[in-house]
Amino acid sequence: MTTATTTVPAPPATTAGGRAGPGRRQALLRWGFVAPAVLYMLAFFGYPLVRNLTMSFQSYTPRTYFTGEAPFNGFENWRGVFDNPLFTNSLWHTLVFTAGSLLGQFTIGLALAVFFSRRFPLSGVVRAVLLLPWLVPMVVSAVVWRKLLDQDTGVLNSALTGLHLVSSPVPWLSSTGVALAATVLVNIWIGIPFNMVILYGGLQEIPRELYEAGALDGAGAWRTFRSITLPLLRPVVTVVLILGFMSTVKILDLILALTGGGPADSTQTLGTVTYQLSFQQMNFGQGAVVGNVLILVSAVFAVLYLRANRSDFGQGK
Amino acid sequence: MTTPTTAPAGPRRTPRPVPGTPRPSAPRTRRSLGSTLVALLVLAVLLFPLYWMLNIALQPGESLAVTRWLPTSPGWDNFRRALSTQTDSLVTSLVVSLGAVVVCLALAAPAAYGLARLGLRGSRTIVFGTLITQMVPGIVIANALYSAYVDLHLVNSPIGLILADASLGLPFSIVLLRAFMVAIPKETVEAALVDGANRFTAFVRVVLPMSRNALITAGLFTFLFAWSDFMFALTLNTTDDVQPITLSMYEFMGAHVSDWGAVMATAVISAVPAAVLLVIAQKYVAAGVTGGSVK
Amino acid sequence: MQTARRRPPAPAALLTAAALVAVTGLTGCAAEPDPGVITVLNSATDIEHAQEQEFYDRCARRIGVKVRQISVPADQVAAKALRMASSHSLTDILDLDGSELPQFAATGGLVPLEEAGVAVTGMSAAAGTLGSYRGTQYGIARSVNSLALFYNADVLREAGVEPPTTWAELKATAKKLTRGSRYGMAFSATPNADGVYQFLPFFWSAGGDESRLDDGKGAPALRLWKDLVDQKSASGAVVTWNQQDIAEQFIGGRAAMMVNGPWNVPVLNEHKDLNWAVAPIPVPEAGRPPVPPIGGTVMTVPRTGDEDRQRTAAKIINCLNERRNQVDWGESRNNVPTRTSAAAEYTAKNPKLAAFAEEVETARSRTDRVGERWPVVSDALASAFQSVLTGRARPEAALAQAQAQAAADE
Repeated sequence: MTTATTTVPAPPATTAGGRAGPGRRQALLRWGFVAPAVLYMLAFFGYPLVRNLTMSFQSYTPRTYFTGEAPFNGFENWRGVFDNPLFTNSLWHTLVFTAGSLLGQFTIGLALAVFFSRRFPLSGVVRAVLLLPWLVPMVVSAVVWRKLLDQDTGVLNSALTGLHLVSSPVPWLSSTGVALAATVLVNIWIGIPFNMVILYGGLQEIPRELYEAGALDGAGAWRTFRSITLPLLRPVVTVVLILGFMSTVKILDLILALTGGGPADSTQTLGTVTYQLSFQQMNFGQGAVVGNVLILVSAVFAVLYLRANRSDFGQGK
Repeated sequence: MTTPTTAPAGPRRTPRPVPGTPRPSAPRTRRSLGSTLVALLVLAVLLFPLYWMLNIALQPGESLAVTRWLPTSPGWDNFRRALSTQTDSLVTSLVVSLGAVVVCLALAAPAAYGLARLGLRGSRTIVFGTLITQMVPGIVIANALYSAYVDLHLVNSPIGLILADASLGLPFSIVLLRAFMVAIPKETVEAALVDGANRFTAFVRVVLPMSRNALITAGLFTFLFAWSDFMFALTLNTTDDVQPITLSMYEFMGAHVSDWGAVMATAVISAVPAAVLLVIAQKYVAAGVTGGSVK
Repeated sequence: MQTARRRPPAPAALLTAAALVAVTGLTGCAAEPDPGVITVLNSATDIEHAQEQEFYDRCARRIGVKVRQISVPADQVAAKALRMASSHSLTDILDLDGSELPQFAATGGLVPLEEAGVAVTGMSAAAGTLGSYRGTQYGIARSVNSLALFYNADVLREAGVEPPTTWAELKATAKKLTRGSRYGMAFSATPNADGVYQFLPFFWSAGGDESRLDDGKGAPALRLWKDLVDQKSASGAVVTWNQQDIAEQFIGGRAAMMVNGPWNVPVLNEHKDLNWAVAPIPVPEAGRPPVPPIGGTVMTVPRTGDEDRQRTAAKIINCLNERRNQVDWGESRNNVPTRTSAAAEYTAKNPKLAAFAEEVETARSRTDRVGERWPVVSDALASAFQSVLTGRARPEAALAQAQAQAAADE
């Protein structure tokens, strides 16, 4: 760690100025642009990743922190995790949570982005203010939402029953059937601004001439959207979905603050299970296993998605 | 890999559309007024939870179980109590977040340029790797960093927190800036090189100014990520010396169990600096995002 | 725009490397512990921090040292202590939640109090078990808390009922007190420490055994909670309410009775129009003693390798546990002092809290039977009451499942 962050970045720079010939020197110089960021990422992402992987094969208990001894125990942690029904359930919840969140965030975000692309009074101001939910620390959002969603005293239920939309209060966070949907709802709320901003930016980049040409061809709004907007927006869509997926799949603080994984484990996700194993049960080995599964799930989806959308992604060489 | 049909590549062949006029249809007043109404309605729905937060903050001495819909007799007591304890933390948050922006941009901008334009072998792998980093859960990073930080004596130091917080924005910034820089016409940079500038000078004198908007966007997002960081603040500090607002609020919440008014006031206060920044820099938020020909 | 002036190559790498070297260089001086300063890790954040410091200063002044507290949120103390242990920077005093003690004691990283020179005589038996692991005492509690039944005396008087003493009475009374937006009863059933702490007095009074969850004895406790929710005497939202939430419900007039601890007293007293009182938690049948859980933090002395500092730490702990300091401390926290003589004085001064003082005599420690396996057992218990309350499982099945869950980790 020490050497990685401190001394290694230097060599490319110094050798570049020194003995190497012009071609080699050029190449090194070019790498000089990229090397600091790469080294930083190796230190801040690569190193934890490797550490987590080794930890999942070790018997890592509180004692380890005192003695430094963490004997390797093969696949024992992995077996323990895979035998635990909670793990299978949480895997399923994670997928539902992620798919639901992304679908909601993206659809609403895109709809708002398209909507705000029209010119009307106050559109800029409203767009800026809409980002506010994103600014509030998640710990706080979760607390506020927990109050809003409370079965008996929550504002949402008093509004719904007041308007006679529901006959009895919805047990948002206290029923196993509804709680996961409620966490998805809150996460959609948090994610809309990010999706909207980035998709709006993407829309601004689509040349208006294309729309003019489309209008000459007599294309309707929906066809214009389908055949001009969506295809040209695809690279942005890819970035939004990939970033959204990766941040959603590992979500932890929101669920911890909203439901704590309950009721009856109905909102346990891979993120909360990792936390529970590592920091509540102090079973760091098993916690690391779930963490690795989380990373793996994420990686598999990312690779599949990026393969399918290769052209949107790698315009560089 | 370069495909002429992708969006970032498109605009450079066409004149820049006037910002804010994406649709050719003539504006009709009634329709646009209707749009404003719809926009305000959307705003009201989406901001309701935040209104509720403010509502609670403005109702002094009330228990949440009986919150009224409107702060009919608003009071600033809660804010006064919150401000009296949170000022230091706000300053810490500001310093740390700005520091993270500097570190992040200093790393991301050259890297993005290198990945976009310098034809390095393995660029694609690096970009992919950059995306992959987003998968590593924060808690895994924080755990591993702690032991490394202890050896480096970076625990309880603002610099340590700045370095860690920069990681929150770095991958996003690299991806964003790279998408932007791919679209900067090769000819412009080559012209500078012919004029005798070396790659780095060309980068500083030509590429960076052209990427100004994207840099601001990346910086803004990094600032917001760092501002709302909780995990690193919690794990990389063992004392109260470096205590950003998120952590301070968490502790405040734990200690003032039933003082929801003050907790919510703290939350409102914590959102203000970021909100101000967002409104000031609003035009950059959308403008810089996808790259292309914004000048 | 462009300039023809050629500059020496100054790749970003060089700058960054220099910056990083500077950073590590600047902060690279090793921090040796200050011999005159004893450090403490605890969960006394915010206003509690200053309260604690007052007591530490009292004792430190006498010994001629200073005390510096490092305070983190309660749910983070254990994790932080472990991180400190791994970097050999553990504090001289570690103030842990009692339920976390066995895990730390099991590591061998704590000094037995006797060896450290901490006096443990004159303390209540319950406090002893809270700080013990496998028969050795590693931690000492200055004060302990427990749970009791808080009730709104005005509401009970209006309804013409007495505070319930048995489960049957609890159900009947709760039903009677439920009216409009007010529930008769509130308890916390969150899937974390709060919910489990609240479930234990019912589980234990019924004869439940945390080391054998499926022996059938604990099932009636689950049925009681479920009945209270089913007959609408308690909200279905109890599965999401932590202890702080139910206190709010109680204060807001939305619950006539609640299970809670003495730490709520200052908040309750802020509401002058709230006429509250405390009774022991109802038992399954008349005549059976209540078995409430005992809670609180225990002070431990970690092995730092520096025996001088360990001795100083022990002196400070001894001073904090003197009768006078314990009484003052108990009053500042509304918790019951552990020194028997201090507890008597405390009860005399705070008759309203006598129920708690009595309870801690018979209270049981959560880790008494299962030791360092408590976190796993606790999670299993939480799953059990959550699945029963949400109608996913019947009490017996839920406990059988919980036992399987707890045993899987053995």
